[in-house]
Amino acid sequence: MTDREEKISELIKNELNNVDFFIAYGRGYDPIHVKPLFVYEEKDLDDLVMNIFCVHNNASYLKTVKDKKVGIVVKGCDSRAVVQLIQEGLINRDNLRIIGIPCTGVISIKKLKEKMDISRVTEAKVESDSVIIKTSDEEKRFEKDDLLADKCLWCQYPTPVIYDHLVGETIEPSRPKELEYKIVEEMEKEDLNVRFEYWNKELSRCIRCYACRNVCPMCVCQDQCVMESRNPHWISLKSNITEKVMIQLIHAIHLAGRCVSCGECERVCPMDIPIFKIKQKMNQIVEELFDYKAGIDLEATPPLYTFQVEEAKIKEREW
Amino acid sequence: MAEEKKEAKIVGFLCNWCSYGGADTAGVSRFKQPTDLRIIRVPCSGRVDPLFVVKALESGADGVLVSGCHPRDCHYSEGNFYARRRLEVLKRFLPFMGIDPNRFEYTWVSASEGQRWQQVVTKFTEQIHNLGPAPKREEKSDR
Amino acid sequence: MRIGVFICHCGSNIAGTVDVKKVAEEAKRFPHVVYSTDYMYTCSEPGQLEIQEAIKKEKLDGVVVASCSPRMHENTFRRTVEKAGLNRYMFEMANIREHVSWVGVDKEANTKKAIDLVRMAVAKVTLNQPLFPKSFKVNKNVLVIGGGVAGMQAALDCADGGLKVILVEKNPSIGGKMAKLDKTFPTIDCSICILGPKMVDVGQHENIKLYTYSEIEEISGYVGNYEVKIRKKATYVDWTKCTGCGLCMEKCPSKKAFDPFNEGIAPTTAINIPFPQAIPKKAKIDPNYCRQFIKGKCGVCAKICPVQAIDYEMQDEIVTEKVGAIIVATGYSLFDHTKIKEYGAGKYLDVITSIQYERLLNASGPTSGHILRPSDNKEPKTIVFVACVGSRDKSLGVPYCSNFCCMYIAKQAILTKDHIPDSQSYVFYMDIRAPGKGYEEFVRRAQEEYGVKYIRGRVSRIFKRGDKMVVRGSDTLLGTQVELEADLVVLATGAIAEEGARELAEKLRISYDPYGFYIESHPKLRPVETNTAGVFLAGACQGPKDIPASVGQGSAAASKVLSLFSKDLLESDPQIAHVNEMLCVDCKKCIQTCPYGAIEEKKTPMGKIVASVIETVCQGCGLCTATCPPGAIQLQQFTDNQLLAEVKAFFHA
Ligand SMILES: Cc1cc2nc3c(=O)[nH]c(=O)nc-3n(C[C@H](O)[C@H](O)[C@H](O)COP(=O)(O)OP(=O)(O)OC[C@H]3O[C@@H](n4cnc5c(N)ncnc54)[C@H](O)[C@@H]3O)c2cc1C
Ligand code: SF4
Ligand code: SF4
Ligand code: SF4
Ligand code: SF4
Ligand code: FES
Repeated sequence: MTDREEKISELIKNELNNVDFFIAYGRGYDPIHVKPLFVYEEKDLDDLVMNIFCVHNNASYLKTVKDKKVGIVVKGCDSRAVVQLIQEGLINRDNLRIIGIPCTGVISIKKLKEKMDISRVTEAKVESDSVIIKTSDEEKRFEKDDLLADKCLWCQYPTPVIYDHLVGETIEPSRPKELEYKIVEEMEKEDLNVRFEYWNKELSRCIRCYACRNVCPMCVCQDQCVMESRNPHWISLKSNITEKVMIQLIHAIHLAGRCVSCGECERVCPMDIPIFKIKQKMNQIVEELFDYKAGIDLEATPPLYTFQVEEAKIKEREW
Repeated sequence: MAEEKKEAKIVGFLCNWCSYGGADTAGVSRFKQPTDLRIIRVPCSGRVDPLFVVKALESGADGVLVSGCHPRDCHYSEGNFYARRRLEVLKRFLPFMGIDPNRFEYTWVSASEGQRWQQVVTKFTEQIHNLGPAPKREEKSDR
Repeated sequence: MRIGVFICHCGSNIAGTVDVKKVAEEAKRFPHVVYSTDYMYTCSEPGQLEIQEAIKKEKLDGVVVASCSPRMHENTFRRTVEKAGLNRYMFEMANIREHVSWVGVDKEANTKKAIDLVRMAVAKVTLNQPLFPKSFKVNKNVLVIGGGVAGMQAALDCADGGLKVILVEKNPSIGGKMAKLDKTFPTIDCSICILGPKMVDVGQHENIKLYTYSEIEEISGYVGNYEVKIRKKATYVDWTKCTGCGLCMEKCPSKKAFDPFNEGIAPTTAINIPFPQAIPKKAKIDPNYCRQFIKGKCGVCAKICPVQAIDYEMQDEIVTEKVGAIIVATGYSLFDHTKIKEYGAGKYLDVITSIQYERLLNASGPTSGHILRPSDNKEPKTIVFVACVGSRDKSLGVPYCSNFCCMYIAKQAILTKDHIPDSQSYVFYMDIRAPGKGYEEFVRRAQEEYGVKYIRGRVSRIFKRGDKMVVRGSDTLLGTQVELEADLVVLATGAIAEEGARELAEKLRISYDPYGFYIESHPKLRPVETNTAGVFLAGACQGPKDIPASVGQGSAAASKVLSLFSKDLLESDPQIAHVNEMLCVDCKKCIQTCPYGAIEEKKTPMGKIVASVIETVCQGCGLCTATCPPGAIQLQQFTDNQLLAEVKAFFHA
């Protein structure tokens, strides 16, 4: 165990009395696959890890444990979901113990997969700015930045925005904010019809598994989600392109002003559909129009659930 | 040229208290309008979930119009303030998905503004005719 | 389901440009439609009977009428189907008149559009649910806003009918414009002589509670249960003590205060009682002129007041009243002629407005009823009246006619001759509008008996030459330019919306036209109702009108309130939001956005926390439905599925 892991274990051990369980990160089936770790008793802590492969947003589990007392280990980006959930009154701060981890980025397994065969990884480690991955028959060294998740490359909240305990020193944001909407801007260089076809092509692959929705920390409707409902009957269960597009539009619209840019939706998509782009576009619009970012301010109201009599940025169109 | 005379599929969501009344006023005053638009009456522009617009567009609408009371005049005081935010967000969002934002407009027409309603319908219909029929989505199955 | 469809010809109104037979024929093919027909006038009695018979014979459980706007006849037909045993909400209308036949020229296109609209209405009605209203208790107090002649009449009629009336007037006294007038057309009786007794009645009526110098701060609630916050503005005089003796006015050293009652033609004192017949007759201080307020010292009135009523520390006070209905009678205001450069923009003392002229004519006015022109206090011999100053002028943004100016000009010209027999009056006019009873005769008298010279034409310029005012204009009947030298010029400034009318409308949630006048429910059939249940209109706030019409509306509004209150229980509209407790995930978004605070959280017997709608508070806007992510809260009659069905019916035809 690293120093940091020791400290986290220690904190959890001390907090276990105060909560029903703790959500942390644990060893997976290989060194690069970490899984969420549910700690009920001390011995569960044996599996605890905290490293560059801790990609999950643990806050995604909070919506399922509404009334329980829970502890949670969060990175900077994860913590925004916690703030947003508390802000919307969806969870109760008093029921939460939060261990915050200042973070310098997590690996995108998708990016790694593009660069090497990852089916037999035996060891993975970080040495300053490099990531070294060993398999049974090779060892590869990568620039860390080449493997990081996109969201880490523009991260403005490396230190959690909410916590009870912080493990390690606060990290100041050092990544360029301008990159935040780069994926969106790239797309917007294309003509409308190119975009139209792009989405038709990308979303045609969707298998309607709903993984994107299930993982989203802000999708609190769960089994009642309109994507699978007949009452109201917004979409049918047919697997055609319009319904697949509808699914993403529903997710984007229900998340407008609430999405915390954790990128989980895209990370879990089994069909590698770049759906985070859609959310980022929405986030950009919300920021432009209302000067608002979700998951930062506990006292704020999501901009679509409030209004201003005179809107500074909305111009009425003349007819 | 025969193509040009073909009607566009346009649907309008109008609040009962202002815009629907405005459309009635236009009727009573016999203000002639293009015939493409079909009106759906809703109590308030605040009732218009942006998803209705999306749904209409995805169902094959060439154009969608939402019209409510002028800001501050909503019969329920606040409905159109929420509508304004939601619909503006939607309008800016549609082009990202490749949908021409000009296929969707939202505006305010009061119950007394029959003439304005005539103008809105005429201009919007023209705008949609200029855009032509909305592209159809096709499943792409290259893996 | 078994749905019946009825297509109305509306004479030739619809049938002229829509092939109604074809629409009825097509409708037979729509899902669930078992009966479809067309009829000449569906809203007529035989038309309604036909619907009722079809309901029984065909065992219909849903009805669609395609005719005029539901804003016109929805209620009519709901009652029709109800009488035949159907729930009134199992009914939908397709508007094929206002939205189709009257606005589209191409019959084929119109017919196609009508078919679509009927298909959409059928799709919707299939998903309608029977709804049942709930009863709730009515508060039988009524609020009247505005104490002009219209508001006073409404207040008195309600009070005489046994209702408790709260009358709120923004000025220190009731009376409105009429209290300022000298005589009234067409009978030339003294205005305050007929109004004064009414004012006293209002002041003394045991059922009327008067708040003058007060304004509406906030209104919440709904028909039968409004809560009103009233701001009582500080008068700096304790009105429970003030006896209206007027000693303070005599002694007040600040004698140059602006006198709104006299329209600024003469000053008044900083502490004043607005006019001798004021109700209530109480003094108030104008802090803009009071030395105690400006210089921090004076205190004369406090010393002189025999009952120690003066209180320089007084603050505005907010009081709350509960009422069940509201009558709005806030009147009108007058066009600001200083906007017109050609008429001197207000810089000539001897160019005055007609309301100022009323004060000059008035025996209790500043000149004691002697007509003396402001510049030199001399009696004018040549008086020129200019009609339509800020009326019927598109370029000034007032295209409408102010209704009563033609008549009061004739009145003022007659009175001028009475006051100064050797005077000559001229009137520049565009058209003479005298349609009321005895009105045309009245104008003729002015011309024939009183020798008033009427010149048809617009005044292009007014300017000073020596001690005369030169009025230059055209005479369109003679086709020449005319130039008159006048001693006094009276501008008949047009009626515009009262200041603050729009803000008040927003508080009341009623609509106003582009000029700020309030909009009635129906221009012919519901002239004193608004689209907000329980709010009624009276007088010039709805549009310029003269005294008889204003009084008539005051009584009409009162009778509407009296009939509304004739029942102890009102029925609430069941078209409100309803929560599907299975679907609600307690995300609180609806609670956050409901404009009426109509949603609260509750615990189901299963222990689940869910949203719950307070039925009498919900107004049916549907904002919550558009907000709820899982669609758990649905506005009855406008559910997601109903609107989606309409969308689908159009696109998947
Ligand atoms: C020069 C002139 C001469 C006229 N001569 C005649 C005539 O001879 N015969 C005739 O029939 N008509 C005449 N009229 C028309 C007459 O003035 C109107 O018909 C009449 O005053 C309309 O009455 P009302 O009660 O509707 O409005 P108003 O008289 O305007 O009364 C409205 C009242 O509401 C109050 N109020 C306004 N807003 C608020 C608020 N927000 N809160 C509380 N109180 C408020 C005002 O202070 C006022 O007291 C004349 C008009 C003018 C300008
Ligand atoms: S995760 Fe991917 S495949 Fe699954 S529903 Fe979402 S977009 Fe479709
Ligand atoms: S939409 Fe995607 S990025 Fe946004 S909060 Fe949900 S999972 Fe995270
Ligand atoms: S419809 Fe919904 S938002 Fe509107 S008043 Fe009723 S409960 Fe409130
Ligand atoms: S918005 Fe919908 S899910 Fe959320 S609390 Fe209200 S009814 Fe329930
Ligand atoms: S009622 Fe028209 S916008 Fe709300």
